[in-house]
Amino acid sequence: MTAQPGPAPGTARDADLPDVLAAQRDHAAFGTLYRRYLDGVYGYCFYLLGDHHDAEDVTERTFVAALAAIDAFRDEGATFRAWLFRIAHNQLANALRARGRHRSTSLDAMAELSAGDDPALLAGRAEEGRRLRGALGRLADDRRQVIVLRFVDGLSAREIGAVLGRSEGAVRVLQHRALRQMADLLET
Amino acid sequence: MTTRPTRAERLDRAIEALLRGSTPGVAAATAEIGGDDRPLVVVAESLRTTLAQPVVAPRFEARVGARLSGAAATPWVLRHPGRLIVTGAVGSALGVGVTAYAVWRSTRRPSGAAHRLLQR
Repeated sequence: MTAQPGPAPGTARDADLPDVLAAQRDHAAFGTLYRRYLDGVYGYCFYLLGDHHDAEDVTERTFVAALAAIDAFRDEGATFRAWLFRIAHNQLANALRARGRHRSTSLDAMAELSAGDDPALLAGRAEEGRRLRGALGRLADDRRQVIVLRFVDGLSAREIGAVLGRSEGAVRVLQHRALRQMADLLET
Repeated sequence: MTTRPTRAERLDRAIEALLRGSTPGVAAATAEIGGDDRPLVVVAESLRTTLAQPVVAPRFEARVGARLSGAAATPWVLRHPGRLIVTGAVGSALGVGVTAYAVWRSTRRPSGAAHRLLQR
């Protein structure tokens, strides 16, 4: 797992800022940010769409849009990664709209992603992973978005609020409800 | 007077602790999680350890990287229109200068045949 917590609100600068400024001076420097966040953006898209090809499509459109808009990014509270995931979120919304329905995503294809590379861990957690993915796939989109952004991508509640266009408090409540629902689903 | 954090805030603190490497027990105790929400910390720990970040296919990474490189390189003059104008102006001035110098030199230099006659 590569997720790292975001900077605590008001206590840390955006660690990506030097690279963002470099990319604004010379778009060729955007490659650093692209390589840093490719897996994360792809993971967010994949866990929401449940399909590799759709996730690749949305990921590509996210980075093309981010490069086109990089000059407009300003260090005004939201971190760069929150800004980037906001773009991904909007692209995802378009993709979900294009599907014509907000169905419960099948997360079967995620089996291969779980529990890392350790064979013992894979064997021991196979059942737990299957049940967790099943419960995650039954959450509403906004709850699943919070869970994925928090646990897969390591965004803080504040950053998730910037991505989803909600307050930090609303994200915490959404996260609490999502975990409560998952606990209930795992009990049954 | 300080207000007690809400359950959602305390759970978020516990998750933050989990993501930073604390055990579920320590995270729950530090964040003062009540009995009702303890199972949520356990679920959170399961999510942390089970949900992996997928790795992108190298071919996809290379293809998108190439597309971004192309997009970054192509619009150089468009992102800096001032450079285009200056480059054009300097280039034109140089061209005019070189042409003028060539014309001036050709009017001052004797022709090859006349030059040879003078040498005899």
